[in-house]
Amino acid sequence: MAEVVFPFPFPENLELILPEIILAVMGMVVLLMSVFLSVSRQNIVAGVSIATVIAVGASVLYVSGSDASTTFYGYFVLDPFAVYAKLLIAIATVFAMMLSLNYVKDEANVGEYYTIMLFASLGMMLMVSATNFVTMYLGLELMALSVYVLVGYQRDVLRSTEAALKYFILGALSSCMLLYGLTFLYGSTGSFIFTEMGDIISNSGEDQRLAVLTGMLFVLAGLSFKVSVAPFHMWTPDAYEGAPTPITAFMSVAPKVAGLVVFMRILVDVFPGLQAEYTTILMFLAVLSMAVGNIAAIAQRNIKRMLAYSTIGHIGFILLGLIAGSNDGYAGILIYMTIYLFMTMGVFAIIIMMRRDEIQGELLDDFAGLSRVRPGYALAMGLLMFSMAGIPFLGGFWAKYAVFIAVIEADHIILATLGVLFSAIGAFYYIRIVKYMYFDEERVSFNFAKSAPLQVIVVLTTLVIVAIGIYPEPVMAMCRLALAGLV
Amino acid sequence: MVLEATEMTLNTTELLAIPLLPLLGALTAGLFGWFLKERLSHIITSGSVILAAILSVHVFLQVLDGAEFYGNFWTWIASGDLVVQIGMMIDPLTTIMMMTVTVVSACVHIYTIGYMHGDPGYARFFSYISAFTFSMLVLVMGNSFFTLFFGWEAVGLFSYLLIGFWFKRDSANKAAMKAFIVNRVGDFGFAIGILAVWYYFGTVDYREVFAQVQGLVASGSTMSFLGWEMDTITFICLALFVGAMGKSGQVPLHVWLPDSMEGPTPISALIHAATMVTAGVFMVARLSPMFEYSEVALAAVVIVGAITAFMCATIGLVQNDIKRVIAYSTCSQLGYMFVACGVSAYSAGIFHLMTHAYFKALLFLAAGSVIHAVMSNQDIRKMGQLRKYMPITYITMLLAGLALAGIPPFAGYYSKDLIIEATYARGMGWTSEIAYYALMSGVFMTAFYTFRMFFLTFHNSDRVPAATKSHLHESPWVITLPLVILAVGAVVAGYWGYHYMNMADEVIVDGYFRNSIFVMDAHNSIAMLEMLEEDHTQSHFWLEYGAFVLAVLGILTATLMYFKETKVPAAIAKTFRPIHTFLYNKWYWDELYDFLFVRPIQKLGQFFWQTGDLRLIDKGMIHGGIIGTVKNGAAMLKNIQSGMVYHYAYAMVIGVFGLLTYLMLNA
Repeated sequence: MAEVVFPFPFPENLELILPEIILAVMGMVVLLMSVFLSVSRQNIVAGVSIATVIAVGASVLYVSGSDASTTFYGYFVLDPFAVYAKLLIAIATVFAMMLSLNYVKDEANVGEYYTIMLFASLGMMLMVSATNFVTMYLGLELMALSVYVLVGYQRDVLRSTEAALKYFILGALSSCMLLYGLTFLYGSTGSFIFTEMGDIISNSGEDQRLAVLTGMLFVLAGLSFKVSVAPFHMWTPDAYEGAPTPITAFMSVAPKVAGLVVFMRILVDVFPGLQAEYTTILMFLAVLSMAVGNIAAIAQRNIKRMLAYSTIGHIGFILLGLIAGSNDGYAGILIYMTIYLFMTMGVFAIIIMMRRDEIQGELLDDFAGLSRVRPGYALAMGLLMFSMAGIPFLGGFWAKYAVFIAVIEADHIILATLGVLFSAIGAFYYIRIVKYMYFDEERVSFNFAKSAPLQVIVVLTTLVIVAIGIYPEPVMAMCRLALAGLV
Repeated sequence: MVLEATEMTLNTTELLAIPLLPLLGALTAGLFGWFLKERLSHIITSGSVILAAILSVHVFLQVLDGAEFYGNFWTWIASGDLVVQIGMMIDPLTTIMMMTVTVVSACVHIYTIGYMHGDPGYARFFSYISAFTFSMLVLVMGNSFFTLFFGWEAVGLFSYLLIGFWFKRDSANKAAMKAFIVNRVGDFGFAIGILAVWYYFGTVDYREVFAQVQGLVASGSTMSFLGWEMDTITFICLALFVGAMGKSGQVPLHVWLPDSMEGPTPISALIHAATMVTAGVFMVARLSPMFEYSEVALAAVVIVGAITAFMCATIGLVQNDIKRVIAYSTCSQLGYMFVACGVSAYSAGIFHLMTHAYFKALLFLAAGSVIHAVMSNQDIRKMGQLRKYMPITYITMLLAGLALAGIPPFAGYYSKDLIIEATYARGMGWTSEIAYYALMSGVFMTAFYTFRMFFLTFHNSDRVPAATKSHLHESPWVITLPLVILAVGAVVAGYWGYHYMNMADEVIVDGYFRNSIFVMDAHNSIAMLEMLEEDHTQSHFWLEYGAFVLAVLGILTATLMYFKETKVPAAIAKTFRPIHTFLYNKWYWDELYDFLFVRPIQKLGQFFWQTGDLRLIDKGMIHGGIIGTVKNGAAMLKNIQSGMVYHYAYAMVIGVFGLLTYLMLNA
């Protein structure tokens, strides 16, 4: 018997990708399960999926160490930074799955739905652990393809399929841009590994400069698309509106976390020599995003569209942290993402609960008079909206505080002023919902979906937001700790 | 959890329980009061405060044996250089405050059960006073300027809420606002003081700040404030003292305190006599390591205290509202405490603070008992001969009155006498001399107005309106029990503190306060006093017995004029009509402020509202400018969002090429 010989030495530290392995295996198991289970027992599939993601979260903690360790010949890294991002992604996925429990119950192919969600989070986890553009692109496309399918999950709903198609076409365009940019970078440096490229770019001469800059611009544009930065944001409102609401919640948090983590890694590792240039680009993108997000949201009547613009606005604020380019700035991004995760999930849970037989519960008017019928939910929604607007002492305040203070310390006073101005404009449409709930007469009778998971999410997220608002230090300390891996 | 702690530590769980128990009670009663009803609400809140009082006494006894605690529990915010930690500093100065606050608060809680019975806001009231107790404990137990500020603002908030507790009464709302706004003025100074501490010392932690004070003074650091050059330490102390003036009702920021009597009487006893208003005195004593280094600030404290002690006593002579008489007396007595601090007899000031807490709370609660009996009438002209109906209230109020007037062996005698003698011995020049005479004349007036009020209420002729007559009765036991408990305090606190606790000892290290108060040798007025008394070459009769003689004279005068109904008061009022009117109108402070601030600010507000807000912003900018632009922008963006994929792709491509062009031109 001939001995089996690997063409490469067996990778060391392979246990680091345990979470990804669990996701990949369980994704397929879930798909098979749903085929063999009868229609009435499909909720087992959901339960198994949720348990899987929780196990993934636990396994991330299990395999993580206090330092960065790599596997696959240094192509995959697990540092505190990646661990924190993976935990956020896992939490977001669990929440989104819990939101889906009632929503997709009546649809066929439940198994596909959860399988694809698992694969989407697999893609994101690969992204945040990537140390080179190949791994990163692999994860990115796995995530993107999964999300395209999820957006168009309701095949017989015109709005849903239209949104998916638009998202797919534009997504393909953005991938083209990303790849096009990569060819420039590879051409100039001859490497795909972040840190190696960074060294070469920092030391490259004037003749390489234009190629590198062009490459960087296209890469940033491609990534900006994924995190809905204006002017690459146009798909967002349509996709948000068309997607099933739990998927809207999912895609407004998890891919953004993954995308921003890649953003941070690339800026820190690949382009440290081009800080002045990319800061200018980011400033333009940040101001445009804050403006588009916060101003366009005012004109929306559909709350999912409004939240789409709200995401764009929030991403604009988050970019301020990148512009600051300091440890405080990056920590501010993590803090922002953490708090944003909880706020968004809470709001979407309330929106899903408002879905009634005929009405989707998606128009702003539907919230009128909520305080009199459901004072508890109205209070939770009110707190979440105030938090989104950044009113102290709620979580959202500290999120904005963290990035604003970082950008002020980096001496971008004008940018900080603009940020505060746009967040004041943004406060208008958040607080408008509070006005609808508390001061307007009820228009349609409410028939809240009674669902324990949704109630749990609403209560939990609201409590977290209030708790962070009163005592932000633990979260802030955690985020600062997580940064140790990056810089 | 505890980052650093001193040698003999106290149990941290116990220390944390003391403020957190009242907070828990407050939250329970506040959030679930609708469900708990009256009985459970008061059991939970009073129970937790009584427990806190017991724990405080326990801590007090341990501290007496030499235990101390200093440490941080949590980091609340850490952002760059700014690290805000929450910790405690427990030493003799803290424990005497903790014990006073919790014991008086417990008495007031029990009293409230009877006093507020049947009020629609019953649970809310208990929630507020428990929350107030929590805030006050944070104020005294904290180990940094941050916790001090938190407690300071929180007690202010609950004071506001409780003064305006009967929010349907217009006068209560106005009084609450007045208290809040006047305190804003003081707190502004206070905040500036704390920011200056942060700026110059780089920390807000007491110990770290105190350790640096000497260095700062030695470096001769000065700063310019509004073009006025002064020592940094003087500036900081004066700014902090402005806060103390606001909170402790010192002239010219005293105007809110008498008006705060609009609140329910238990509040007047707890907040506006025993605890919150003394926060300023506590703060000055706590910060003695800073004030000691600024002669100017100490002199300012003496002057303000002396003026207040004198002026408020004169106003108290002629007021007819039973609670207002006591309120002006409170201002006046707080003035005594500040004079004590100003002449560096901090121990005497805190000693008087403690005795005053007992007898003044008692006076208020007894007055409340009277008001309760005569159906919410507060005018002493419509009382008289009440002793027949309410013997317990009568006796306890008599004891409190004697204590306030300063008759031995009641509590006020020891502490007040000590302040006056220390002021005399200190010899700061004209400041302490003026203060001495102001305090001495204050003693006479205090005795007079106290017994004027007392006789008009319980003796004199029966002037109770016939309608209320049938209602007259002694209050139930929940009201009289706290009176009796506090009466014990009013009688023995002075003797106990003076003879057993050594609260008045000259060298701080040997006395009760150990190292918790810092006094420079050159300022040690109590040591000076002892030296003076040991000097037998001259007579000390006037120094030692002067205050006592004046107090007796004051009581005698009051007896002559008011024990029986006479024509003397009316005759005197007629002869000295201008003075009487002047005093009766409280030196016209309210009218002065009305003219100087209230009306101009109202006019300014009118201008901003009509011209600035309505015309400029609403009409000019909103309907034309900003909102219009935003609205148009929003509509435009909505139009751009056409739904066409090629439009979206176009935007992306344009974006990329725009940026590329920019980079190429600038690279």
